[in-house]
Amino acid sequence: MSKKKSGIWFFFASVRLAIVLLLLIAFIAMIGTLFPQREAAVELVGRIPPGLFSFLQKMQIFDLYHSVWFVLLMGLLAVNLLICSLDRFPAAWRRFRLRPVPREPDAFKDLPEENLFYPESDAKKAADEAASLLKKKYHSFQQADEAGSVYLCAQKGRFAHFGVYMVHLSVLVLICGAVIGSVFGIEGSVKMLEGETASGINLRNGNLTMPLPFSVRCDKFTLERYKNGAAKLFQSDLTFIKNDRVIRSARLLVNHPVAFEGFRFYQASYGPVPGKKATLVLLREGGRRDIMNVSTGYTFELPGNEGTFQVLRVEDNMMQMGQAIKVAVRSEKEAATFWVFREIDRIKKVVPDVFEQVPVFNPGLFRPYTFSLLGIEEKYYTGLQVNRDPGAPVVAAAAVLLICGLMIVLFSYARWIWIRIDQVEGRVRISIAGRSIRNNVGLKREVRHLLAKLKDNLENPK
Amino acid sequence: MIDTTILSWVTFIYFGAFVFYLFRMILGREFWGKLAGWLALAGLIAQSVALIIRWKASYDLGIGHAPLTNFYESLIFFAWTVVFLYLLIERRLKNRSIGVFVMPVAFLIMAYASIAPGISNRIEPLIPALQSNWLTSHVLTCFMGYAAFTVTFALGIMFFVRKAAAHDSSGVRAFIHLLPSESQIDDLIYSCAALGFIFLTLGIVTGSVWAHYAWGSYWSWDPKETWSLITWLTYAVMLHVRMMRGWRGVRMAIMAIIGFACVLFTYLGVNLLPSLHSYL
Repeated sequence: MSKKKSGIWFFFASVRLAIVLLLLIAFIAMIGTLFPQREAAVELVGRIPPGLFSFLQKMQIFDLYHSVWFVLLMGLLAVNLLICSLDRFPAAWRRFRLRPVPREPDAFKDLPEENLFYPESDAKKAADEAASLLKKKYHSFQQADEAGSVYLCAQKGRFAHFGVYMVHLSVLVLICGAVIGSVFGIEGSVKMLEGETASGINLRNGNLTMPLPFSVRCDKFTLERYKNGAAKLFQSDLTFIKNDRVIRSARLLVNHPVAFEGFRFYQASYGPVPGKKATLVLLREGGRRDIMNVSTGYTFELPGNEGTFQVLRVEDNMMQMGQAIKVAVRSEKEAATFWVFREIDRIKKVVPDVFEQVPVFNPGLFRPYTFSLLGIEEKYYTGLQVNRDPGAPVVAAAAVLLICGLMIVLFSYARWIWIRIDQVEGRVRISIAGRSIRNNVGLKREVRHLLAKLKDNLENPK
Repeated sequence: MIDTTILSWVTFIYFGAFVFYLFRMILGREFWGKLAGWLALAGLIAQSVALIIRWKASYDLGIGHAPLTNFYESLIFFAWTVVFLYLLIERRLKNRSIGVFVMPVAFLIMAYASIAPGISNRIEPLIPALQSNWLTSHVLTCFMGYAAFTVTFALGIMFFVRKAAAHDSSGVRAFIHLLPSESQIDDLIYSCAALGFIFLTLGIVTGSVWAHYAWGSYWSWDPKETWSLITWLTYAVMLHVRMMRGWRGVRMAIMAIIGFACVLFTYLGVNLLPSLHSYL
C-alpha cells in the first residue's frame, strides 16, 4: 500500500468501532423507550422532582431520537461505515477481478481422501464429463492440459464480494434520506369540521402554523361502526382549492393517503365535537308533547311557570347503556337532577326495578313531566396529517438496496472450484478442490455434490 | 368454534412430539425420533387446516381478513412458523436432535395462547388502520424472523447442553453422539440468525412502508419500532463479530440467547410501554 494512512483512518476503519457504535445506538434507543418522548414528557411533570426533570430535559432525554447524542452517534456511524468501506473496497475489487487459473499449485495440497475418486472410465472421457459438468453448473470454465493430466477450473458468486458494500452504502443512503427528511420535510396536522376550509396546518414542532399554497375543504366526514362500537371506517371527502378554483376532489381513507402539490394528506384521526345536539321529547301528563333540539347548557322555561329545565350533559355512551342526557329541573317547590336514556325501555326489560335501584335514571322524576330521548346527533371533526418528506424516496431506495445487499451477503458466496484428472499407478484419478470466502460449510457441500454428480455421470452415461 | 378446538388439540400434539423427541434422546433409538417427526408434521398440518378454517370463518362473518390480527392469532401463527421452520431444518440436516429443544417452545407458545388470561380467541373485525394489504406481508415476514430467531435460541441452548454433557463423564453420554458436533451447531446458529435477520429486515421495511401509508411517516420512534431496531442492531452485531472478528461457539451461543431476549421484548415486553402499535 502506497497510500499513507493515519491513526484516525485506522480508528474509523475498525470493525471494533462499528460494533461499539451499533451497541451504543441500541442502548440509546432503549433509553428512549423507557422515558416518555416529546409531547408525552409532560406527564412526568409533578411526578418527579422538578430539578431532575429539568436535568433530564437539558440532557435531551425527552427528545432522545433528535438529541445531540443520537445525531452524534449516527454521524460517527456514517463516518465509520464510509471509511471502513473505502478501506476494504480496493481489496474486494482485486478479489473480484482475480480469475482462477487451472494450474493452481496450492489448490490440491493436503486434499482429503474424500475429495477424490477413481473412475472406471478412461481419462479422456472423465475430462469431458468434468468439463460438461462445470459448463452446466458454472456457465464457463478454463482448461489446461499438462503432462497427461487435465486441469479444469471454474468460479461462481463473484458479486458476493460487493454485497457488504451494498449494505453499508444502503445505510449511508438511509441516513441521507433521514437527514433530507428532517431538514426539508414538513410534519403538520389540521382538524376540520364538515364544510370547513383550511388554508394552513399546525406544525408538529412548536406551536407554529404554516400557510399552505392552496386550501382544502372537508365536504363530508363519514364514520361507520361495527356492532361492538369499534370504528369500521372513517373517511373525509376533500376538495382542493387554489385561487378560488376547485382543482381536485378526493376521498381520503385510512391507509390511502392523497397527494396534492407535494403534500400528502392522511386520514389520521377523528373526534367528537363539543356541543352535540340531542333531540328530546317533553311529555306533560295528559297534555302537550314538545320536541326540541338541545345541547349542553341549554335552558328552557317550562310552560305555565312550572319550572326551568337545563341540560347538564350529553353522553354518547353512558355506563355502557347507550345515549343519555343529564338534565336538571327546578321549580319553586322542588329540584331534580336525573338521566334520560334513549334505550330506557330496553334497560327496564333487563333490570325491571331500575328506578327503585337508581332513582336518578327515572326520566319521570319531575312530575307531571316525562322526558324521552329520541337521539343524539353525533358530530365529529376529522383529523388530517399533512406531510411533505422529500427524503422518503431516498429512504425507499436505501431499503431496496439494503435487502438486495443482505441477500447477497448472507445467501451467496464467492468460490473457486478446481478439478484435476491425472493417473496414479495406472489408474485414472479425479480430484476436486475448492476455495471460498467465508463459507467453508457451503463449499464442502458443493464439492461433495460435484463429486457425486460426476461419479453418477461417469457410471451411468446417458 | 371448530378452529380453536383443533388448535387446542395441536397444543397436545406438539407436547407429544416433544416427549417422543425426548425418548429418542434418552433411549438413543431413532424410532422415537421418526415418530416425533411425523407427529410434529401432523400437528403442523392440523394447525394449517385450523388457520384456513379461521380465515374462511372470518369471511363468513363478513369481516374477512387473514388470521393474523390479534394477540391470540399472532401467538398461533408464531408457533406455526417455529414448527414449520424446524421441520424444514430437520429435513435438510437429516438430524432430529434439535426437535427436543424447539418443540417445547412451540408447545409453550400454543399453551400460552389458550390459557393465558385476557387473551381473546374470538375473530374480531379490523379497525381502519389494520385494513391494509400490507398487513399480511408485514406480519408474515416479522413472524418468520421471530421463528428463525427462536430456532437460533434453541440451538444456543443445545450448544450449552452439548458442551456441559461433553465434560460430564457419567452415563449421560448416550445421547451426545446423536447431537450435531459443536462446529455444526455453530454453523447452524449462524445460518438461522442470518435467515432471521433477512426476515426481520423485510418485516421492518414492510412495516415502514405501511406506516408511511397509514400514519404518514415511515418511522416514528414508536416503542415497537424502536425495539425492532434494537433487535436488528443486536443481530447485526452478532453477524459482524462472527464474520469480521471470528467469534464462534460459546460466544455465538450467548449472542443467540441475548438476541432472543430482544425478540421477546419486541414481541411482548413492548406492550408494557405506551404505543401506537397496540394491536399485537
